[in-house]
Parts: sequence; structure tokens; C-alpha cells
Amino acid sequence: MSETSTIDATASMAAAELADRRTRRDAPSARRAPAWLRPRVWLPTAITFAVAAFLWQVVAITNPYVIPTLDAIGASLAGDPAMYWANFLVTLQEVVIGAASGIVAGFLLAVVMAEFRLIERAVMPLVVVVMVTPIVAIAPALVVAFGFGMMPKYIVTALVVFFPMLVNSLAGLRDVDVKALDVFRTLHASKWEIFRDLRFPGCMPYVFAGLRIALPLAVVGAAVAEFVAAGQQAGLGSLVTTSAAQANLPVTWASIALLCVMGVLLVSLLAVVRKRVLWWSDGEVVAR
Amino acid sequence: MSAAVVDAGVRVSNVSKSFGADGARVKVLDDVSLTIGMGEFVSVIGPSGCGKSTLLKVVAGLIDADGGKVEIDGSTVRAAAADKRIGLVPQSPALLPWRTVLDNVRLPLTVNRRANAGRAIRDPKELLASFGLGHAMQKYPGQLSGGMQQRAAIARAFVFDPAIMLMDEPFSALDEMNRDQQRLGLLEFWQSNRKAVLFVTHSVPEAIMLSDRIVVMAAHPGRIDRIIDVDLPRPRTEEAYASDEFRELERVVRTALHEVMGGAHV
Ligand SMILES: Nc1ncnc2c1ncn2[C@@H]1O[C@H](COP(=O)(O)OP(=O)(O)OP(=O)(O)O)[C@@H](O)[C@H]1O
Ligand SMILES: [Mg+2]
Repeated sequence: MSETSTIDATASMAAAELADRRTRRDAPSARRAPAWLRPRVWLPTAITFAVAAFLWQVVAITNPYVIPTLDAIGASLAGDPAMYWANFLVTLQEVVIGAASGIVAGFLLAVVMAEFRLIERAVMPLVVVVMVTPIVAIAPALVVAFGFGMMPKYIVTALVVFFPMLVNSLAGLRDVDVKALDVFRTLHASKWEIFRDLRFPGCMPYVFAGLRIALPLAVVGAAVAEFVAAGQQAGLGSLVTTSAAQANLPVTWASIALLCVMGVLLVSLLAVVRKRVLWWSDGEVVAR
Repeated sequence: MSAAVVDAGVRVSNVSKSFGADGARVKVLDDVSLTIGMGEFVSVIGPSGCGKSTLLKVVAGLIDADGGKVEIDGSTVRAAAADKRIGLVPQSPALLPWRTVLDNVRLPLTVNRRANAGRAIRDPKELLASFGLGHAMQKYPGQLSGGMQQRAAIARAFVFDPAIMLMDEPFSALDEMNRDQQRLGLLEFWQSNRKAVLFVTHSVPEAIMLSDRIVVMAAHPGRIDRIIDVDLPRPRTEEAYASDEFRELERVVRTALHEVMGGAHV
């Protein structure tokens, strides 16, 4: 059968180990220099931004009533940083509180739906109906119901985050390793133990895919809610509408830029957290 | 438990199982009866789709049979599972990628803890060392080769000292050389830790090398065609492959398979 018939089982296992050692993958702790340090990686991006900025300036200088120049935007930001910072914080608060509520609610409902199909069948149609209703249409109604305070903004932000979280978490909780589940079941593990040790950690790639969609949406949600209640409360979205109404273009575009910065910060933070939490997952899950 | 003394091992009596909707039911297991004594290694071999995995899942309590009965140490499968007396090694290692190898092997001890009381739990570290994974305990499954992962999965099934070990083609995903090494490793470990084993395989030499008895199944409906005793002396080593008895058994098993497959080539 084999030419190494004199070797006993122990020796052959040792040989297997040697072979194993050669094929194993990098340790998760192994660190290389970050990719973005290499010019090949950052240079194309930098060039694109430089070209875009140049074109922007050309348009802004020839059409001063369409867009402001970049230096006018910069001057506006530098002129009243405290005002921008205060508005930034208001919107950030809406995003954080609204998104956190939507994320938790979406995940919890997913857990319940994953355990009880009956509840999914009962509730899912309602969820879909709410989600296909344009959020821009819901926002004014919420302002009427809850006034111009923070509450309607939290609700709108939570609503836009809720659906991608629910759908992705549910997919993750369902996509359990069935062979591992068989092992848990023969051990007579409880539903809670299966959730704690298998389903919950196993669904994280999907949860992060959901978050990747949900966080930028949260900024959209907060801004839209502020548009509707503009003039009453602070916030970058309000700032956009009020300044645009006064044709104060540098303020409008400075606010838009800050909304954009907020989105980028949130997505970058998510990428960092994802790397720490999901080092064991070999591929990014495609979000639904 | 007095029943355990009287009736140790696994007793499968007249088990039948069909799949499919009422109109188009397909019988997958037909009146299957089988016993596995304490410390006995029984392999199941047969054509693809004959119900080997289904039989194993019925014994594991993962699916319910339509008729018949399975007893493990004299109690029901459900009671045996509640008591953590069933060890399962699935076809893929099914390790949790976010846990170290050591924590994967510890897993059975951390769920259903009630059943831990008063049993001969093994030291996970010692166990891993005896499976040649001593250096890999703190690694993650993704850093291990397929063979090492499968050994970790086997260690995970041994750690809580189950009464019966169920293995569904545990080495089928490995290449032939690796397979042979893993099976010899399992043979060596099992020979010094005798347990009742129900082992599904597609490999004739593997079945002969490991087993006390080989159950040959036929398909449509899945049923036991014959049971072949393997009376090669134990402990066995790789040298057994070269013996005349081994070759003769190989011929017998292949002939049996040939017959149950209706003369088709094995
Ligand atoms: N859950 C199920 N629902 C319907 N049919 C099933 C189910 N599980 C198995 N079967 C059918 O039962 C038959 C036996 O399946 P089983 O997996 O037990 O075969 P097997 O002997 O393990 O095959 P293989 O050697 O390919 O692993 C097959 O025809 C399969 O299609
Ligand atoms: Mg099978």
C-alpha cells in the first residue's frame, strides 16, 4: 500500500504535522506595513482628488452663483469653527443615537425572527411596507407628531438603519454552519448556548455588511429629518437648507462637506472595528 | 445506571425512514438492525445515496426515524444526548473559526454543563498533544491544514468521553496520502482508547484497517446487505495493509459492494 510501511502511526502523524506546518496560513497577529503607505495605493486617489478640485475651481470662478470656490468654503469654515462644530455635534448626536437604536432594534427583531418563523411571517410584510415608504415623506409627518425637537430625527435615522440591519442579521443568523450545528445538537446544547457560541459570532460578517450600508444611510436620515424641521434646530442639514435659502453658498457647501466628513469617519471607524472583530472571516459578505 | 451494565453499546432495531411528500415518498432506510458493542469499531460502507449518513443521523438523534428504535447503553437517543454520551465527527471539521483549537476542543465541556458531573473528562491539552496538535493549541482553525483540522474535530468528540462515537467520512475531504496518515493516527489513538464507533466511509482499505465489522449497505431502499467480520489481529499497524488476510478481506468487501451495486463497477 505504501513504501513507508516500517514507520508506525506515531511517526506518520509527526510527518503529517511537518507537512501541515508548511501549508498553514499567516497568523492573524502578523503585521505588515499598511497598504495605504505605498504610493501605488494612495497616488491614484490623490490625483483624482486634485483633478476634481481643479475642475471645481474652474467652474466656481467662471460661475460664482453656481458653486463657491474652495477657498471661500475654507474661509467660511475657518471664520466660525465654533458654529460649525456645534452643528456637527448636533447631527452626530442624531446619527449616533438614531443609528444605535435602529441597529439594536433591527438585530433583536432578526434574532426573534430567526428563532420563530411564525413571527417573521407575521411581521415581515409590515416591515417591508414601512420600508418602501419614502423616508422623505415620513419625516414631515413625524415632525408634526413629535415637534421640532430631536425625537423625529432619532426616529427617521433609526428607521433608515433598521431595515438593512434586520435583513442582513437575519440572513447571518440563518446561514449557520449546519455541521457545527449538528455537533451542538448531539451535545444537547440549549438554544441559548447555540446562540451564544454559534449563531451570534457566526452572523457577525453579515452584521458588518449590514452596518456598512446602514451607517452612511444614518447620515442621510439625520440630514433629511433636519431639512424638514429646518430653521428651528441646529444641525448640518438645517444649516444646508437655511443657508441655501439665503443663497449663502459657502455655508451650504461647508455644511455639505462636513456631512461628507461625518460619513467617511463613520465608515472608517467601522472598517477598523470590523478588522478587529472579524479577523477570522476570510471574505466580506455581500450585503443585501 | 443499571441498564448500561445490562445493555451497553448501541442497538438499532428495525429502523425505517422515508423522505419526501406523501405522494412521492422515498424509502431511505428499510428495516435496519445493527448492534455495536462496547469498544467495537463498526464501519458502514455502500453506494452513494444508500442512506449511510441518514443512519448515522438517526443514531445521533439529528433526525427521527419513522419506525423502529435506537438505544444507546439501554436508553433512548434523546436521553443519551441529554447526558452527552454521543460524540459526532462530521464530514467537514466544522470547527468554530473564531475560537482557538484548544477552545474548540473545550467546547463540548462548556455546553450542557449539567451532564459534566461525574464523568471521565479528558484534559483537552493532553488530548490535543496525543493527536499531534500540541504545538497548535493556541492557533485558529484557519491556520491549520485540513488534516490538522479534522484531528482537532476528532479530539473535540473524544474530550467529554462519550459512550459512542459517530463519524461520517471524516477523512473524505483529505488527499490520499494525508488520509492514510490520519486514519492510522485515529487507529492508534482508538486502540488505546477503545470506544464504540460507527464509522461511515467510502474507502474499502479504510474500513478494513479500522473495523471489527463492516456493514455493507445496499440502496433503493437503503438496507443492510451483509455484515463482514474483520478478524485481523489487533493492535494493527500500517503493516497490516501488506498481509494476505488484508488482501483477501479487500477482495471479499469489493465483491460484496460489486453485488449490491448490481454488478456496476466499484
Ligand atoms: N433531508 C432529506 N430530505 C430528502 N431526502 C433526503 C434527505 N436526506 C437524505 N435524503 C435522501 O436520502 C438518500 C440517502 O441519503 P444519505 O445522505 O443518507 O446517503 P449516503 O449513503 O450518506 O450517501 P453518500 O455516500 O453520497 O454520502 C439520498 O437519496 C438522499 O437524496
Ligand atoms: Mg453521506
